Amino acid sequence: MGERLLRAVLPQLGKLLVLLFTISTLLFFLLRQAGDPAYVLAGVGATPEQLAAIRLQYGLDRPLFGQYLSYLGNVLRFDFGASLITGDSALGTVMQRFPQTLQLASMAMFLSIVVSIPLGAWLGARPERAGRRLVSGIVFVLQGAPGFVLALLFIQLLAIQLMWLPSVGYSASDWKTWVLPTLSLATFSAPSLTRIVAANVTEALREDYIRTGRAYGAPFHTLLWRHALPNALLGASALIGVQFAGLLSGSAIIESIYSWPGMGSLLLEAVQTLDFPVVQAEVFVIAILVFGVNVLMDFTFRRLDPRLADAPA
Amino acid sequence: MRPVAQASGVSRLWDAARRALSVAELALGIALFLLVLLLALFGVALQTHDPMASDLMRRFLPFGAEGHLLGTDHMGRDMWSRMLAGLQWSMACAFTANVINLFIGATLGLLAAERPGWTRNVVRQVADIFQAFPSLVAAIVVVVVIGDGFVTLVLTLGFLSWPIFMRVVYAEASSLYSRDFVKAARLAGVSRLAVMFGHVLPGLRASLLVIFALHFAALLIAESALSFLGIGAPLGVPTWGNSLAESRQYVLVAPQLLLVPAGAIIFTVITMNVLGDGLAAYSRRRGRGIEP
Repeated sequence: MGERLLRAVLPQLGKLLVLLFTISTLLFFLLRQAGDPAYVLAGVGATPEQLAAIRLQYGLDRPLFGQYLSYLGNVLRFDFGASLITGDSALGTVMQRFPQTLQLASMAMFLSIVVSIPLGAWLGARPERAGRRLVSGIVFVLQGAPGFVLALLFIQLLAIQLMWLPSVGYSASDWKTWVLPTLSLATFSAPSLTRIVAANVTEALREDYIRTGRAYGAPFHTLLWRHALPNALLGASALIGVQFAGLLSGSAIIESIYSWPGMGSLLLEAVQTLDFPVVQAEVFVIAILVFGVNVLMDFTFRRLDPRLADAPA
Repeated sequence: MRPVAQASGVSRLWDAARRALSVAELALGIALFLLVLLLALFGVALQTHDPMASDLMRRFLPFGAEGHLLGTDHMGRDMWSRMLAGLQWSMACAFTANVINLFIGATLGLLAAERPGWTRNVVRQVADIFQAFPSLVAAIVVVVVIGDGFVTLVLTLGFLSWPIFMRVVYAEASSLYSRDFVKAARLAGVSRLAVMFGHVLPGLRASLLVIFALHFAALLIAESALSFLGIGAPLGVPTWGNSLAESRQYVLVAPQLLLVPAGAIIFTVITMNVLGDGLAAYSRRRGRGIEP
């Protein structure tokens, strides 16, 4: 067991190191490309003496390669420096926003799962019927429609026209401020999850064990919910993992629309104020998060499906 | 797959119906796509006003106002003309980025399939890295650092989101390289490049077309999302993303300002999805029985 876990995790860890090294290197040279960091650090209207002092203080007068090496050393110690705007630790600033992003992504994923599995099973059981054709069409349109456009339409309809919910803003104690962001983020994941569950259920219902079950006189709903659906979910669980990683890392635009104080809106603020230490810390954290979720899901998936247990990673 | 069912008459009828349906979806996809394409190419001729010309006396006109089919925005600019200008920008941007994606992805995919040694491992690792990192986050950082503009935007999207092409080309080319006609060509002394371009690449046409259409939709969304965030398209350029961002200030006075760009984005994206799905369904039908 322990050995198996190690065998699953070790190659992934190697990949993660390559990924982090590549991203750090690209970011370093990309951000240097953006201009002399001394100007950003010193602020508007700095004198040449102040600029020189800052270059000395941050080691910006040294050769680029030397700067790169000491930067890599700092990255290894998870030291990204201080935010240029607030002066707080860049990594701390990012981690402070993490709980809100985790909350939003978890709520959206939960909503997607709760809606998609029954809906997908219903659609996949009798895909040829007219009513389900229509619902499939709606799901197809929702899958295509960009989530941020739907978010704007939700605000217009539910918050401004009907005034059921607050349009923007976040309050940890008021669940009403959670509804629209969750709904909007869930439109990224729920339609494709519904479609894959439906397709897998249709496929599973054609299998021999279903025919055998039917021959023994098992009622259709037992065959669907007890036998076909669990097998269909096996395929869907891989997608759930990918989607959760996507929701965690890709919520920037939804967070920004709803002024949700998460990592995504922080990235946009940091990028627009050229707060490079925060951008670097954030990109680093996102890379680790995405990889962590993928490895976790891969491992869970292998536990769920014994046929995959010994397959190479 | 279902030998028993294949033989029965009912299921044959069902099969025929499905085939007709897949052709109908493809026809619908092509028709919608032609409409979007014609509007993008010749939309300038249909513009009733200069999309940038403002008229502060005629602000917030509703749909169907005299001379302004879709009304006017907060600066009195004609929404219909701005919608057409935005279509042109979005299509040009997504198309160019998609061509770059296709070129990079297909080249690397063919290379990986042709040389199953360390070349393949390196290419797959690189694709993994590009795929693991959320491309919208990467695009936000890159575009802000390098600066706004059409070229930056297209190159960023072009160089970031090619792995989907690489994976599909790699998977299909690998299976083609193991087929007898390719092996025979190699044994007959046909050069590596001639095999690649003369025998393997033609077999990938159908899949590439499908991915091109579906990925086009993804790029349209990415472009409009970036421009909505104020990244990519320079301020003031009539893109759908910019129009959406501007409309947020006037949700109470003029909700129609939201509906025009939102409708345009949704319609265009769904057009590309219908086309892609239609192509996929059609080629699945046609490919039946040829597969080994």
